[in-house]
Amino acid sequence: MQHTICALATGAGGAVALVRLSGPESCRILGELTHLSAQPEPRRQTLCTIYDGTEPLDKALVTYFKAPHSFTGEDVVEFALHASPYIKGRLLELLCAHGAVMAKRGEFSQRAFLNGKMDLVEAQGLCDLIASGNKASHKLAMDSLDGKLSARVSEIKKRLSELLAQIEVRLDDVDEEMTPLSDEFVRGEIEAVLSHIKALADTFSVGKYIKDGLKTAIVGAPNSGKSSLLNALVGFDRAIVSDQSGTTRDTVEETLEINGQKIILTDTAGIREHALDPAEKEGMRRSHRAMEAADLVLFVLDSSRPVTPEEKELWQDIRRQNKRTLIVWNKADLTAAAPDLEEAESYAAARVSCKTGEGLEALKQLITADVTEAQTADGLMISNLRHYEALLRAQTELESALIRLEAQAGGEIYAEHLRGALKYLQDLIGEVTPDDVLGIIFSKFCMGK
Amino acid sequence: MFVCEDKYDVVVIGGGHAGCEAALASAKLGAKTLLLTQSLDTVAQMSCNPSIGGIAKGQIVREIDALGGAMGRVTDHAALHYHMLNTGKGPAVHSPRVQCDKKVYQFTFKHFLELQPNLDIMQDEAVKISVSDNAVDGVLTLRNTFYHAKTVVLTTGTFLAGTIHIGTEMFRGGRYNDMPSDGLAKNLREDLKLNILRFKTGTPMRINARGLDYSKFRLQPSDNPLQPISHFTDAVQQSKRTFLSCYITRTTLETDKILRANFQRSAMYSGNIHGLGPRYCPSVEDKIKKFPDVTSHPLFLEPEGFHTEEYYIQGFSTSMPEDVQRALIKSVPGMEKASITRPGYAIEYDFSDPRDLFPSLESKRIPGLFMAGQINGTTGYEEAGGQGLMAGINAALKTQAKESFVLRRDEAYIGVLIDDLINKGVNEPYRMFTSRAEYRILLRNDNADLRLTPHAFRLGLLDEKYKAPFEKYQALCQRLIEHPAAQADENETELFPWTVQKARTHADIYHKYAGYYERNKKDAQRLAEMDSVKIPEGFDPSSVRGLLFESAQKLAEVKPQTLGQAGRIPGVTPADLQLLAVHIERFRRLKNAKAAH
Repeated sequence: MQHTICALATGAGGAVALVRLSGPESCRILGELTHLSAQPEPRRQTLCTIYDGTEPLDKALVTYFKAPHSFTGEDVVEFALHASPYIKGRLLELLCAHGAVMAKRGEFSQRAFLNGKMDLVEAQGLCDLIASGNKASHKLAMDSLDGKLSARVSEIKKRLSELLAQIEVRLDDVDEEMTPLSDEFVRGEIEAVLSHIKALADTFSVGKYIKDGLKTAIVGAPNSGKSSLLNALVGFDRAIVSDQSGTTRDTVEETLEINGQKIILTDTAGIREHALDPAEKEGMRRSHRAMEAADLVLFVLDSSRPVTPEEKELWQDIRRQNKRTLIVWNKADLTAAAPDLEEAESYAAARVSCKTGEGLEALKQLITADVTEAQTADGLMISNLRHYEALLRAQTELESALIRLEAQAGGEIYAEHLRGALKYLQDLIGEVTPDDVLGIIFSKFCMGK
Repeated sequence: MFVCEDKYDVVVIGGGHAGCEAALASAKLGAKTLLLTQSLDTVAQMSCNPSIGGIAKGQIVREIDALGGAMGRVTDHAALHYHMLNTGKGPAVHSPRVQCDKKVYQFTFKHFLELQPNLDIMQDEAVKISVSDNAVDGVLTLRNTFYHAKTVVLTTGTFLAGTIHIGTEMFRGGRYNDMPSDGLAKNLREDLKLNILRFKTGTPMRINARGLDYSKFRLQPSDNPLQPISHFTDAVQQSKRTFLSCYITRTTLETDKILRANFQRSAMYSGNIHGLGPRYCPSVEDKIKKFPDVTSHPLFLEPEGFHTEEYYIQGFSTSMPEDVQRALIKSVPGMEKASITRPGYAIEYDFSDPRDLFPSLESKRIPGLFMAGQINGTTGYEEAGGQGLMAGINAALKTQAKESFVLRRDEAYIGVLIDDLINKGVNEPYRMFTSRAEYRILLRNDNADLRLTPHAFRLGLLDEKYKAPFEKYQALCQRLIEHPAAQADENETELFPWTVQKARTHADIYHKYAGYYERNKKDAQRLAEMDSVKIPEGFDPSSVRGLLFESAQKLAEVKPQTLGQAGRIPGVTPADLQLLAVHIERFRRLKNAKAAH
């Protein structure tokens, strides 16, 4: 059975992103993500909520094309959704978690061609596309972060291969000469490899920022100075700033670079529970969404006045999001001490004056601080979804191996999972060395006849 | 020159473990077959150890047997000791091993050959394979007899330009006491221009058991109850026979000392041997050199037969000079007073690069020429037998203009073996390990019949009388898998040689591995899909624009027949495969368009 593949079909920018899913499992995956059990009607756009677990991720326009009446000739599902890097990235992650794999370059067209959906002339372009990808991906391991990633994965792979060789050689040991491996040793090794893989995979949310930008939502009560902060960080007047509270009706997005990191700042409408007019209500809905989609929340407070009950309520709301959050005490030029806020000491905070520029540098450091912290010790991070997917799959295999080990399953069983994990790591660095493990066996162990 | 008036479909050169299976299989498929051997007294000779089977090898024997081959049945006939290996581990790695009476084995096999319709056997040495119009057309022998042949199966073992080494002594030989095939070796190198390389292998000394102190050995009795290695042997009857024991002892520090003192006198280290030897199954001097920390290695004393006091000493393979070998024996507890009857030796021989073969084991260079066994760079009776069977089948099928028979990697160890050989090539004598099989969970000794017997019936390799019981057995297995508690008549006789107990065992193992079965099957299905994409005649994969340089080179070398095979060539990337897939389809459409005009 062919894999079900997925990819982003639109480039960067634009308000709407298109994610395409193609293959025999498309319908099942769609059902799982939308919590809808009924088979969708073909060729009809439907507004569906996409769920990330039990939480909604986005409302997307979904179109199902039934095989063979689709671009690829297979079952295809297209998701038109908000073009936020977070939303589209997360959707691809979810698709992969539900069994799809990231498409290789030109793979949709390849399937279209093989299924008779494309003529010979078009095929030539397709070949060129794949060929360019061949060269590129071949170089990828070398180029990506100066080959550090490749070196690191090779290291992890090596340790895993050594462990697998230890297990395999005992499965093939005729003379039963070798002392059995203790479960503690195997567990320890798997856990060690697992922790390396996890550490690498955990940098993905960070690595993603480098590529797609760190999505930062500026939230706060009306007139606390959110737009001023945005302008101060960007360096010119972008948002409409006025003393009249509730001026920012729509969310304003701005991309900038801070300390070498790509940051996407979103200024949201001042969140106020009882909006006066419908437009403001809509803006606030968007603000909530921006906050949900954000990687980082900047909570802006006016330090020249006491914290209002509304702001305290908003603060509860922010904390419930469980996002990385910075407290920004604005208008620091007007007062010396910050008013009191519950649990504020657990959060990083900055005192700034958008007017004088005071404290802005410190804030910039704070915004990018975590990005640096989440790197592995040698500054390595994953920024490619395909790499991330491979790591996650390897991780799952190793976790299964641990479960099997715990259940006293035989070596041939957990070896299956270690082999699986090794395969994913090999895919990741585009290496094809099937005899690795045998090589270790032959060089390290004295095998009988 | 005498030109034999009989025109053969298949001429098999060599009567070893590969040649014998090849000849039987080919004749069974109705091809008029001739087996040529230097000596009819050494047909199917066990030149090295007196055992059949072992880790992964045991599975191969079961596969040969399930496909109608003779190795398993002959083994049961000659058995003197049964041992199921790895029973402490999961059923996927259980492997049968059977010690045999060497003489009974070879004479039984010879008898099988003599009884086989369509098969002639002739004692003569092939010296030349005749090729005309770029295809095989006959074989010339040392006696200057010419046999017409549509196809030839070449199974030369260690005989091609064989050289034997004992210490610094060197002499020509295909096996101790047998002449090498020098004429044929020259023909293959110079006339047929095969890509000939050299390997080395070795065998330990044999000793006379008189004077052994058994009290110093660990006894290894034959399994009781035993499991016959052939699916067609009656376990109950077999159990009534008498079996012998094996013994285990170890090398000592004294052994170590003797070896170290004489390294430079070993053929291996004297500089006389240029062929590559295997990294596993090393000679005892190799073990000391490569694993200096291991001070004691196990030695297994295995009887060479019922009517002899000779023992084979597994683990003591060596090419040390005779005086050192005598000293080595005396250094081992229990063997102090034993005497050597035949010294161990190393042998170098020619083999042909197996990447020059199609999956059918037919040469890409010379149509009609098939190769099996050590000539393809493998080692082991079982690996040879498996290839012999496949080469025999495919040579016969070719003469009948039928599609070749290829086993996939998820179907059989034989499939893994041949796929590895033709795609990866060899840089040391290739032996099977379970680690080589990515579908290890599927390829077990207990289900070889379920995997392969249907092929055997389809091809006509098995007696039809087994068909009804086998189908009953298949149905029973299925029923027990679906309903583990289902009742079955334990004394059912129509199942014979299969039993209800065996079906229950199979169902239990299936359940133990259930999730992994599905997982392996799914992977295997993707593989099968890739393999179903044939690379069409006239399409040159290496000419595809955009392939990585190295991949194009490899594709030109191996000339894969399917997209799946291309993917198993080391170094070929997924993007290369994408390109190939598109270009194959393009090629097909262009051809269809031309045909339409």
